Amino acid sequence: MSEFVEECRREWKRLRVADSVANEMAADLAADLAEAEADGASPEQVLGSGAFDPRSFAASWAAARGVIAPPPASLDPRRRTPRLRGTIAVTALIATILVGLALFTGRSGSTQVAVAAPVNVQPVPVPQSPPSAGFRHFPLALNQHAGVLLPAFGLLILLVGVVGLILWVIYWSPWAEPIRAVRRRSSIDDGPGYG
Amino acid sequence: MATTERRRTELLRGVLDLCLLAVMQDGPAYGYEMTKRLRARGLSIVGEGSIYPLLGRLERDGLVETHRAASNGGPPRKYYEASAEGRRRLADGVSEWRAARDAVDGVLGPVETGVAS
Repeated sequence: MSEFVEECRREWKRLRVADSVANEMAADLAADLAEAEADGASPEQVLGSGAFDPRSFAASWAAARGVIAPPPASLDPRRRTPRLRGTIAVTALIATILVGLALFTGRSGSTQVAVAAPVNVQPVPVPQSPPSAGFRHFPLALNQHAGVLLPAFGLLILLVGVVGLILWVIYWSPWAEPIRAVRRRSSIDDGPGYG
Repeated sequence: MATTERRRTELLRGVLDLCLLAVMQDGPAYGYEMTKRLRARGLSIVGEGSIYPLLGRLERDGLVETHRAASNGGPPRKYYEASAEGRRRLADGVSEWRAARDAVDGVLGPVETGVAS
């Protein structure tokens, strides 16, 4: 049974319960278990199902007593990770919107250069007939083609970015905490113990 | 069997604090001593919980007072006894329990408990 008490001690240490409080709980627990053993009572008769899960038992007891020290906000990974993820998501969405806006309003120059590259291609002269107008206007045709596609593509990206930003504001932003709280409430587990 | 134990645990969940405050009326007691008093009155704590978290909550809420004292030949133990607020809570809780028990008995009382065929 001392192993059980040691497991509890480790859990209290992990939960940053003050040493004096942890020592007191451990001493009481060890004395009770020793007395129960002397009486011929099983640990389950003293601890219930907590006898099979010392960490859960220890956490439940410490929480009920209100002796678990709250972790600093900067060290709490449950707070830090969502904040980092949220920052990355918002940055990506804003970048998407800006790119979409740039393409939609036609301010992107790089695409024009890439599309205009065929201008340097010399058409092979065909003796029977002069180069067709279509061949000569090929770069222009491409530009016109790209001119139609790019704004549409830009609009699509813009819409994706705006919709993503709206969804983020509704479901994942700090202002959406009440909505998340309602969703979490249905999955709260009391854990072991009657308390 | 597991269902029976779970139901029993659920039933006890709301009144075990009253049971602990009640057995403290026999005098201050440490954790295991309270378990023995409960068992002597017919209530065995064999289920999904233990009294320790509940004692912790009672202490946190100011419903019990504690002191350390030597037990019979053993190490010093933490003794619990009901505070004035705890005794008030016990009186209120017992009235609520009796009202609830009577209401439930009114519904369940006429039900035959034999195995249905």
